[in-house]
Amino acid sequence: MNTVTDIKTLQHLILKSAKCYGDKVFMKEKSGKDDKETTFNELLLNCRKIMTFLNEKSNADNIHAAVIGTTCAAYLTAYFGTVCGGNIIIPLDAQMSCEDVIDHLQRSDSQVFFFDKRYVPMLPAIKASCPMIHTYICLQETDCDDIFTMNNILGSYAPAETLPDIDPSSCAAILYTSGTTGKSKGVMLSHSNLVDNTMCQENESTPEDVLLTVLPIHHVYCFTCDILLSLRYGTTVCVNDSMMHIAQNLKKYQPTIVLLVPMIAETIYKKIQAAAAATPDVPVAAIARVVFGPNLKGIYSGGAYLNPDLANAYVSMGIPIAQGYGMTECSPRISTGVWENNCKGDVGVIVNGCSVKIVDGEIWVKSPSVMMGYYKNPEATAEALTEDGWLKTGDLGFVDERNRVHITGRKKNLIILSNGENVSPEELENKFSGLDWLSEILVYAEEGMICAEIFPNPECQLSREETCKLFREQVDKINKTVSGAKAIRRLRIRDVDFDKTTSKKIKRDQSSQGELCD
Amino acid sequence: MLEQLKPIICQYVDVKPEDITLDARFIEDLHFNSYDFMSFLGEIEETFNVTVEEQDVLDLRTVGDAITYLKSLM
Repeated sequence: MNTVTDIKTLQHLILKSAKCYGDKVFMKEKSGKDDKETTFNELLLNCRKIMTFLNEKSNADNIHAAVIGTTCAAYLTAYFGTVCGGNIIIPLDAQMSCEDVIDHLQRSDSQVFFFDKRYVPMLPAIKASCPMIHTYICLQETDCDDIFTMNNILGSYAPAETLPDIDPSSCAAILYTSGTTGKSKGVMLSHSNLVDNTMCQENESTPEDVLLTVLPIHHVYCFTCDILLSLRYGTTVCVNDSMMHIAQNLKKYQPTIVLLVPMIAETIYKKIQAAAAATPDVPVAAIARVVFGPNLKGIYSGGAYLNPDLANAYVSMGIPIAQGYGMTECSPRISTGVWENNCKGDVGVIVNGCSVKIVDGEIWVKSPSVMMGYYKNPEATAEALTEDGWLKTGDLGFVDERNRVHITGRKKNLIILSNGENVSPEELENKFSGLDWLSEILVYAEEGMICAEIFPNPECQLSREETCKLFREQVDKINKTVSGAKAIRRLRIRDVDFDKTTSKKIKRDQSSQGELCD
Repeated sequence: MLEQLKPIICQYVDVKPEDITLDARFIEDLHFNSYDFMSFLGEIEETFNVTVEEQDVLDLRTVGDAITYLKSLM
């Protein structure tokens, strides 16, 4: 196993993984009806070819190369080939519109663009708006003869023989955070930031483990926890090629570990329950084993709030599910989930080397994983980072006696009532979790009162009166558990779901469309 | 083909088979959520031995759309 002391940059990590795990399969991905396999050695070899290519294209240090697409070996070759040569990678959200892609290419000063073939139709618009990009490389083969592809590079360039010395404190990646309000900010993560987050814990995985990667690769949660940890531990990564195929891929690859977001965990749970209802003679745990495959050790959940009831329901099916906590600015892990029998709603134990303190209710973090700052945005950097290096997470919460973090809400979403009392809308919203009849909820202040607006679950096909009754009963129940100032006084029901960000979080700055519940 | 699809749809959403018509919309009328719908398409691929292209998914708004699309793949 790779140790902390000898790995200081992503280049070291790739070199060490090839040395330790060599011809073992690093990545399996579907290619037609077969699987394409890439070994740890092949990943390094292909990265060296990208380095030769980029050196030929530009003698400048710190080439900015953007990459957009879904998880595949070609994507990772572009990523690591860029950063192992001391250049900077900008992973972009594969769900962005053409306009947003152009905006991010411009704001990140990208000179090279690696793209999935799905973006070929956007190329004329991008080329017209981004004259600073001198090199375009498609990650797959296309029908267009004039498009340069990854295979063109791998087939015609020799691997770089010498690798540059990279300063561990230099920038490796710029990641744009979507945020629920305002324009995205480019989080600059150094080699040492990402390496620290990869190496901060011990014994998280083994070369015998098989991981199914489901989450979007441009998210640092997926990148660090699926990809970098697998490089460290020699784990084989199997690619879920589509959200259509999670069930099939769980059966096909029989992973030992999978990282999910709560929405997927919840839907799979519902399906298991439906199957159990249809086959009452078969234990639920046996159905869960069929769905997830026989080898699964457990699930890690991240990206959004995981209801402890759902976590405990998984535990009761024999599948531990652990919730961690982090943010892009922290590469991302601040605390890591623990697989255990009784989930109490915390978001895991603080990772090694990370200090957490609570200032006016807000979680502040200091660790070698904390970002360098926001790209070309010193004002935002000064807002987020103190002079002595503490990152203000913007999350409200506390640390318990077991060194576990608990999140109660977002500071910027705090509702300040006229009596000066602060109310976290998320704290109230979470009290509505696990209700079948409810799909989405947003809590906000309206005319000095706390208002809860809901989008009911359309599957339940309840009348407005029935929904109103259930809603009011739940609110009455909640109001008995909170101080009078925090009580929900106004109820609204809407007919359409809420506007969301690309990461499926409800936007908080949207106007109310709900009608009052009488 | 509609009759073949009905039992599959009923595994994903709580609707009566008679409510599943060619005009029924997956999201608005049959109340699929996004992950349900993707899982359903994955099952359709296996059942009919076809490959659904992700870029075509947004065009599949009604059961009739899905049947027309499936026929084009077979």
